[in-house]
Amino acid sequence: MDRKETYSRPQPAECLTCALDAGELLLAYGAEVSRVEDTIQRLEHVCGFEQVDVFTITSSIVATVRLPDGEALTQSRRIKARVTNLGKVAEINALSRRFCAGLLTLAEFRQAVQDVRDERPAPPWMELLLYMVISFSLSVFFGGTLADGVAASLSGMVLFAMIRMSATLQMNSLLQTAICSAVTALAVLLLVGASIGVHPDKIMIGNIMLVIPGIQLTTSLRDMINGDTISGLLNLSEAILKAISVALGFALVLLAGGV
Amino acid sequence: MRPEFVQTSMGIIGSLGFALLFGIRGTKPLGCIALGSGIGWTVYLVSVAGGHGKAFGMLASSLVIAACSEILARVIKAPVILLLVPMLIPEIPGGDLYYTMYSLVEGDTDKFASLLQLVLAEAGAIALGIILASYAAGLVNNIHRHVHPTVHSPTSKK
Repeated sequence: MDRKETYSRPQPAECLTCALDAGELLLAYGAEVSRVEDTIQRLEHVCGFEQVDVFTITSSIVATVRLPDGEALTQSRRIKARVTNLGKVAEINALSRRFCAGLLTLAEFRQAVQDVRDERPAPPWMELLLYMVISFSLSVFFGGTLADGVAASLSGMVLFAMIRMSATLQMNSLLQTAICSAVTALAVLLLVGASIGVHPDKIMIGNIMLVIPGIQLTTSLRDMINGDTISGLLNLSEAILKAISVALGFALVLLAGGV
Repeated sequence: MRPEFVQTSMGIIGSLGFALLFGIRGTKPLGCIALGSGIGWTVYLVSVAGGHGKAFGMLASSLVIAACSEILARVIKAPVILLLVPMLIPEIPGGDLYYTMYSLVEGDTDKFASLLQLVLAEAGAIALGIILASYAAGLVNNIHRHVHPTVHSPTSKK
């Protein structure tokens, strides 16, 4: 692209970069593959490209557009880490709708997408509180007593601390999951030993729900149903591996503890 | 308090907790999630009390939940996944998954096999429920598009 040329309208490469930025964030925050492809396609059509081809799997995006003068332009993205943040998915979705409706210029859209990415994450104390609330409620939900719920919220604190710590160490994610599960199981056994909580199984189920890839399983099935078989399989195998590593972590401690 | 009532409210709290953990904010989506989660678990309890198996209960409740999330997402103009994922939290067979794993650790292969079958049936039932509701929503959308072509501009993506 000749940089000296000045266009009255935005450069084609800029449009493509902008659309891929939005798509990359959607994918990284846990949107379905079909939504990512659809969003990029819509954004590119609004930008005035003749033909748009997008191929997305859970770990990468490739988009090629045909310019009116017949030239083709391709950009790709590699997505390494994914964190579920459905709130941000909804925000980017709303932004791209507004852009497609002509309510935003490209520069405004780009800035807004970057703002969504740079939004400050929820404070750690809030996440800790949520871990405790979720552990408590689901432990009671699966048949635990009130004391089990309290114990689950305490071991949920341990789980949260472990996850934060191992995230800073940047270990292999499967190993990380196994270690977090093992330490949590140990905490549960100690809590029951200290007669806080009665049923170790009900307490652990409350904690397991936080690490088990149930959401990933749902998305992978959805992707497969929508015809994105490769993404679905990738996600599914990732979910199964994660479930195994959770099981491994808990199993190690259960075996050693002789429960 | 009846245990079913306690269980359903705990399921709702769990759903809301996950919704907040996934960055969902605002009273409208959170209210919809609480509603759908409660309805879903009630459907499960009613269907199991009616003598049906666990897997059938999961199918019925995930079908109702997916339908709720498709409808409510259109009402509050949010992506379906935003509501569907947190609403389904109580249905995730975490308990049975735990016991499956536990029986494996114990070395009780018979129990492991039957529990694994149960977990797979439950997960499959949930998936089937989502598929059916999603196809039904697509069908309704298509029919609506044919009847009122002007309502659907090319850029209206749910």
